[in-house]
Amino acid sequence: MRTLVEVVARAGPGGRTVLPVVRASGQLAVRRTGPSTVHLVATAFGPLGGDDAEVRLVVEAGARLAVRTVAAAVVLPARGESPPSVQRVRAEVAGSLDLRAEPTVVTRGAHHHALLHAQLDDDAELTATEQVQLGRVGEEPGRWTGTTRVERAGTPLLHTTVGLGPGAPAWLPPVAPRAYASTVHAGAALARATGEDAVRLPLERGWVATAWGDRLAPTLGRLALLEGAAPVEEAQ
Amino acid sequence: MPPDHLLDDYVDPYDDPAARGHRHGPLRVGLGGPVGSGKTALAAALCRTLGAELDLAVVTNDIYTTEDADFLRRNAVLPDDRIEAVQTGCCPHTAIRDDITANLDAVELLESRHPGLELVLVESGGDNLTASFSYGLVDVQIFVVDVAGGDKVPRKGGPGVTASDLLVVNKTDLAPLVGADLDVMRRDAGAVRAGKPTLLISLREDPAATEVAGWVRQQLRSRAAQHA
Amino acid sequence: MTAALLTLADSRLPAGGHTHSGGVEQAIAAGIVHDPRSLEVFLRRRLTTAGSTAAGLAAAACRAAGRDEPRRASLARLDAEADARTPSPALRQASRQQGRGLVRVGRRAWPTAAWDDLPPHPHHPLALGVAAAAAGLGPADAAQAAAYLSITGSATAAQRLLAMDPITVATVTARLAAEVDAVGAGADQAAAGGPAPTDGEPGPAWLPAGTDPLLDLLAEVHADRDDRYFAS
Repeated sequence: MRTLVEVVARAGPGGRTVLPVVRASGQLAVRRTGPSTVHLVATAFGPLGGDDAEVRLVVEAGARLAVRTVAAAVVLPARGESPPSVQRVRAEVAGSLDLRAEPTVVTRGAHHHALLHAQLDDDAELTATEQVQLGRVGEEPGRWTGTTRVERAGTPLLHTTVGLGPGAPAWLPPVAPRAYASTVHAGAALARATGEDAVRLPLERGWVATAWGDRLAPTLGRLALLEGAAPVEEAQ
Repeated sequence: MPPDHLLDDYVDPYDDPAARGHRHGPLRVGLGGPVGSGKTALAAALCRTLGAELDLAVVTNDIYTTEDADFLRRNAVLPDDRIEAVQTGCCPHTAIRDDITANLDAVELLESRHPGLELVLVESGGDNLTASFSYGLVDVQIFVVDVAGGDKVPRKGGPGVTASDLLVVNKTDLAPLVGADLDVMRRDAGAVRAGKPTLLISLREDPAATEVAGWVRQQLRSRAAQHA
Repeated sequence: MTAALLTLADSRLPAGGHTHSGGVEQAIAAGIVHDPRSLEVFLRRRLTTAGSTAAGLAAAACRAAGRDEPRRASLARLDAEADARTPSPALRQASRQQGRGLVRVGRRAWPTAAWDDLPPHPHHPLALGVAAAAAGLGPADAAQAAAYLSITGSATAAQRLLAMDPITVATVTARLAAEVDAVGAGADQAAAGGPAPTDGEPGPAWLPAGTDPLLDLLAEVHADRDDRYFAS
């Protein structure tokens, strides 16, 4: 199943943001939920193995856009030999983009590819958070491969591929986390910092913070510490 | 003789332009020797004695990064930016002889930081009698042993004792206490060193290391004369 | 050309590799590496992430070095790609230190104009790619050497730090040979312009970018220690 979402954010009168393009086809719907916020809404179970979703975001100079989802995405394998499901987010940003989807839960036997490719103008701002849990409660972990590429003014700022789950070549006990969360920020610099199973690395006018562990809630708590935010209470 | 076609535009592959340049840079003096023989104390003494007249800096190859560097800061009145510590990957020997990259990086860093540098002391990590510096790293080397190691040390030889440009036998004040015969050490060293100098000193009695400093000055003068 | 490849991958090539543990010193301190099996796991982690990334960059740099124009711009672009794939300051420094060390020996052992087109402190895989080209080797060889070197330094460091049986450590390395070959070959294909698995766009931007956040964390914690034997 092929899904395409397109959103364009443009600077409007009085410093507000207008969204001249908000459209979706396939398994995602898109709703404007605030002055500069859209929510993606899944219209079917999944994604399923073999599904392909592309989210194209354009944030023009002076505009702001926040992209959220309404619920966790539960990735399920297709029947038989399941091919990976793929989600690509391609963003062209001259203004400010804030991307934070609800967690991706990859169930047993499923393999999800997530790609974020952000092309930033020199003074654009980006904050993008990824939250992953391998397997539902009591379930064997699925597999997740995430690639993040951020370019500013044509120069690569960050390009990483992280593979998690059984079969990922570097997902090896004793460090084989089932939960993973990462935020990349381009805009303001933060120095490097280390934590328990968490690390923040500086980028030119930005940073990338990553945390991992067995469960997502405490992992997000450790990530929040490195994002400079108040720690999140651990959900039991 | 290589075949003619190889001689046409023959460039000597062993002629290193960077090394040619380095001969005009600071004199690099290696300080090697077994653990506890007084390398760091000698380095500190040389810094105190020569620091007023020479633009100098030190590279340390300590087991851990900071121990010797801290000692030098305290005892040699050397500012931080004139001390570079090198990590040797558990192999102090390798870092001064077989793969000198990290030490070259440190020397070049000091040279770039202090363009008028005249002397760089490269102190090895404490090693054994077989350790010696590559001449790709240093111009001359001093090997430091001590009386407490026994008066048989010069007789045992090893590249440090036999081939160093200067052999320093330190802690002569301890000779009566450990039953070492300084004359035996002087004679044995002379026998294996083919005329190269040996100095018997006590840094406790002469904290300025006067004789060793004099030898270093002489090296600087003779190199200046060579390149005049 | 086999002898040139062996020279390039020889741990005795005086390029400064022996002072870098590739994270194994901190992995030992953290209790992650303690015996041959845990060392093998660690080496596999390194090989398939940092090793694969280095192999892709080395192959691409070898290609770039083999062309006359626009060599300088291509190498500068690859250096930026290496930076983007190495956000850890400690790992960046380790890579650039080793790059400088390899340039020092490489430019005398294999003189060629391409050395002058490298940035002053190039990332190690770039220096490796240029060295391979200068020695008459191809991109596949450069990738192979990078993949191999991504584990041998760590293996030797573990041997020294844990006083392991050197024969056991040699066995660990030997058993990984097929995976080293696979990583090198895969990276070489990517550098040749094969499509990226999730993207479909060819080109150097989509060279392998395998990352292990654990290695980043270990490198940063290690850099803060003042009681370490290894530079990284």
